[in-house]
Amino acid sequence: MTQVATRAALASCRRVSVVYGEGPARVVALDGVDFELDPGESVALRGRSGSGKTTLLHVLGGLVEPTAGVVEWKGEPLSSLDVAARAQIRAGGIGYVFQSANLLPYFSAFENIAFAVRVAGANRPPAPLELLELVGLAEKGDNLPAELSGGEAQRVAIARALAQQPELLLCDEPTGQLDSDTGDRVLSLVDALRHAFGFALVIATHDAEVAGRLERQVDL
Amino acid sequence: MTTYARLAAIGLGRAPGRTLTRVLVLGAAVALLGAMLLFIGHSLRTMTASTIRSVPLDWQGPVSSHRAAVRVANGVAKQPGILQASPAATAPFAAAEHQAPVGRIQAGAGAILAVPRDYLSHIQTFRLLHGTLKPDQIVLDQQLAATLQAHIGDTMTITPRKGTKPQRFRLSGVAIVTAPDVVFQPLNPVLGPAPAQPPANVVIMPLQTFARKIASHLGTIATASLGSSALPGAQTGVQWQVQAQVDPAKLTGSPSHAFALATQTKNRVERSLPGQVQFVDNLADNLNTAAGDALYAETLYIMLAVPGALIALGLAYLAALGTVERDRRELALLRARGASRRDLSVLASIESALIGIVAGLLGAGVALLAVSRLVHGGIGLTLGRALLAVGVCIGLAFTGAAAARVGASLAVFRGSVTEGRRSARRTGKPLWQRLWLDLLALAVSGFVYYLTARTGFSAVVNPDSNPTLSLSVYMFLAPALLWLGATLLLVRLRGRALAWVVQRTARERATTPAGFLLASAGRRGPAINRGLVVIGLLLAFGVNLGIFTATYDQQAQVDAQLTLGADVVVTAPPGVTAREGLETKISHLRGVAGTTALDHSYAYVGPDLQDIFGVDAGTLTNGTALRDSYFLGGSAGQMLDRLRSTPDGILVSKETITDYSLAEGDLLKLRVLDRRTGAFKVVPFHVVGIVQEFPSAPKDSFMVANLPYLERVTHDPGPNVIFVKTSGDPTSMSKRVVSATAGGGWIVKNIREQTVQTVSSITTVDLTGISRIEEAFAILLAAGAMALFVSVSLAERRHEFATMAAIGASLREIAAFLWSEAALVLAAGLVLAGLLGSLLSEMLIAMLQHVFDPPPDHLAVPWSFLGGLAGAALAGTAVACFLAARAVARLPLGAILREE
Repeated sequence: MTQVATRAALASCRRVSVVYGEGPARVVALDGVDFELDPGESVALRGRSGSGKTTLLHVLGGLVEPTAGVVEWKGEPLSSLDVAARAQIRAGGIGYVFQSANLLPYFSAFENIAFAVRVAGANRPPAPLELLELVGLAEKGDNLPAELSGGEAQRVAIARALAQQPELLLCDEPTGQLDSDTGDRVLSLVDALRHAFGFALVIATHDAEVAGRLERQVDL
Repeated sequence: MTTYARLAAIGLGRAPGRTLTRVLVLGAAVALLGAMLLFIGHSLRTMTASTIRSVPLDWQGPVSSHRAAVRVANGVAKQPGILQASPAATAPFAAAEHQAPVGRIQAGAGAILAVPRDYLSHIQTFRLLHGTLKPDQIVLDQQLAATLQAHIGDTMTITPRKGTKPQRFRLSGVAIVTAPDVVFQPLNPVLGPAPAQPPANVVIMPLQTFARKIASHLGTIATASLGSSALPGAQTGVQWQVQAQVDPAKLTGSPSHAFALATQTKNRVERSLPGQVQFVDNLADNLNTAAGDALYAETLYIMLAVPGALIALGLAYLAALGTVERDRRELALLRARGASRRDLSVLASIESALIGIVAGLLGAGVALLAVSRLVHGGIGLTLGRALLAVGVCIGLAFTGAAAARVGASLAVFRGSVTEGRRSARRTGKPLWQRLWLDLLALAVSGFVYYLTARTGFSAVVNPDSNPTLSLSVYMFLAPALLWLGATLLLVRLRGRALAWVVQRTARERATTPAGFLLASAGRRGPAINRGLVVIGLLLAFGVNLGIFTATYDQQAQVDAQLTLGADVVVTAPPGVTAREGLETKISHLRGVAGTTALDHSYAYVGPDLQDIFGVDAGTLTNGTALRDSYFLGGSAGQMLDRLRSTPDGILVSKETITDYSLAEGDLLKLRVLDRRTGAFKVVPFHVVGIVQEFPSAPKDSFMVANLPYLERVTHDPGPNVIFVKTSGDPTSMSKRVVSATAGGGWIVKNIREQTVQTVSSITTVDLTGISRIEEAFAILLAAGAMALFVSVSLAERRHEFATMAAIGASLREIAAFLWSEAALVLAAGLVLAGLLGSLLSEMLIAMLQHVFDPPPDHLAVPWSFLGGLAGAALAGTAVACFLAARAVARLPLGAILREE
């Protein structure tokens, strides 16, 4: 699964290893992984539970520092950046969609998106309401996450990620907790948005059908 | 069980941070409780010890003869628990005469105290200033020695009774009789102690000498003659008696316990000498009074301390809440692996026991350290008491840990075992909310307070004479229900009021940083309210404690001023003040703002003996302060004017006016002691007003007259008291007075020592120790509570904060959610504390209004303590927010975001 970088990649990992715990509790989540992602590309990370899909997403987003190896964002090593700088990169370029949406529980749907807009601090920020309309939830703007269904919450999470005007969208099992119809609609939405906004997409999934919708599959 | 213990230990060790937090919070709560228990125990023992010390003579048993006195004293001395038993006698004498270098000096009638030579071993009824007690010689009270101008070695005569031959004695010493009112009281075991008018002149002589040279000239008073006590100070014959001192080491525990022991000892001694002696028990009488004061002290401690202790345990609950989410996951995991509810309960119990042992040891250590450092003079700790304190602290910590764990995890426990029966769970309001018990409690509290304020109901009854404590459940209702009602109301509101205010402020959908903070805080009502309940009540406890103790201290100062009379008071034998020019000497000292001289003596109104003060109406306010509330029917100035314009004018108490149907201008005939003859004589006065309080006057009835008139009719050689008003520190002023007037045998007291002196007054229960302990803990807990609130918020919101970090929020943006919420809780808590604390203080002061004499005009606000309390809470918040921000930066985002 080794790839060689031939042109300017959006994000890349070189011989990245991640180890959790020590002694008998030691778990090797990633072991010398190389990965490269081009701008606008869509990639599915496949593998069984515990294969390191989520860890690789977190490494790419700068949420987890690798035990060994180098992670780069637009050619700049993330490990050379402090917490604040990595947060700044995420705010302006990397969007996340988690398995269970992870909406901020005390913000309404509108405010979840508005908060991401504020955090991104773009010169020409998108309007939260327009993003809600884009995911078909304009009328649910004042609902709190607890008042949304699983599919609705996931669509708000996608809108929140778009609020950051991302160059890379990282999705961790985005349909894992949804029924097949809802999951299908969510994936279609993501796909449509990717074409509309041109961001790169990495989806971690163990579902071959989901993986098949993307341009490239990487097995872990 | 070993498996459970290992599992519990592993569980606690796996999360050292949260275990440490629980131990520290529980330790602090237990330390507060332990310190209070140690202090109360020590305080009660101190009250017992100081009461025993203050009794100059424990028992006086009248007997029929010298021989009986010696025989019974020997019998009593052999009894266990008796430190000393001595035969003694008191008797009157008609006159004393001394041929001084200036000529022959005569003194009037007086009293003789006859004691064996070893008398002063443990009995302290008099103190030798010079010389000693020798066979066939006498010791004079310093006042009589001064009157006769007698020195050691001089010869003088004592006439036992008019018409008998004067007896010649050589003077072997000069003494101060420290408790003449007790020593010379009429002895009637049926009536008990009845301290009497002290004799003007006192002679002390060896018992054998007395028996041989004096007793034969006087008759003997019958043992149980009621007539012997009909006229205090008018003893007509020899009172043979056995005087005894109980071993104080045998009287332990609280005053009531010591009282029971003392009574048992007396009964045993009397039973072992059947028909030979019955004692007048001065010791039991004083211990009985102290037991009343102890009850009052315990009441004060309970009212001040229990809310603090309960709130401290609330903190432990708050600390347990910080781990409730993790507990839920662990319990669910154990449940999934087949653990039964019993298994989980045993595991929780063992975990609580482990935390309880560590927190209990920590709390006991802090409590012991706190009381030894914060209580002046230490608490007299023994190994047994220390071990008991440790045991109690561990027990409390275990109970607290278990209660907090169960309270915080009850839903988790129930949920994990009744997952399949979720639909059967009650979702409605709890019973107390449906019954509106919170509002009911507040209403009843207000009603009781209204009744208290309107009817003047108080814990102290009969405040005009000897104050007596009257405790009932009724008096606890107002503050107790206010605490309960306010707590329940806060729980009911669940932060809705705060949320409403916040949402009103935010107004619309949040799009700005401030808007996001307000939106978040507005929707976290229950979580914020939980913090507000604990912190607001804790701060309210601090405010209540601070205001109450400050008011108490203020009134104790006022009371001390009223009891002592002035900043510094000099008491001298009659004649000495004038002869030595004491007032002039003192008035020239640096720091003296003014002086006035008084004559304090006694006079009979009918059969009632009352204190009478001869004052100089022109200079009285130079030496002391008078309040208009001291008088009825006119201001202080008007009353002094009336005295000035009426030479034989007299101010009397309302009780005297009522009892003797007097009116202003009426003639009042008093019997006063004529120093020239030693006998009482009738003197006319005219009533010019009513006096309720007066500097240095007792709580019961007394009178105030003009000094020149009083001196003229009593032939007193001059005033015997000087009031000194100071412009600086009374203690150093007192020392200057002592050094400037050294060597005369007079007594100098200052208001500082009066304030700390434990006498019979009910306000002298010393709150200093417990208030210091509680104030220190209140400040520590305020800081700790805010820190805990922030750390619990961080623990609860770590997933939310990790999500914020994942979408790129900066550390500052995330930390703002913590500190803004903490600031909101702190601000709301301070407002709540201000309102609730002031109201509680008002209630306590109203309840104890008659403890304060005079009652307080206003509450004293201890701004420095309150500032310290708020500052500590603020500092705790700041430190916790700083640490929390650092913790946010180190959050394991990957691991947290994986959590469900």
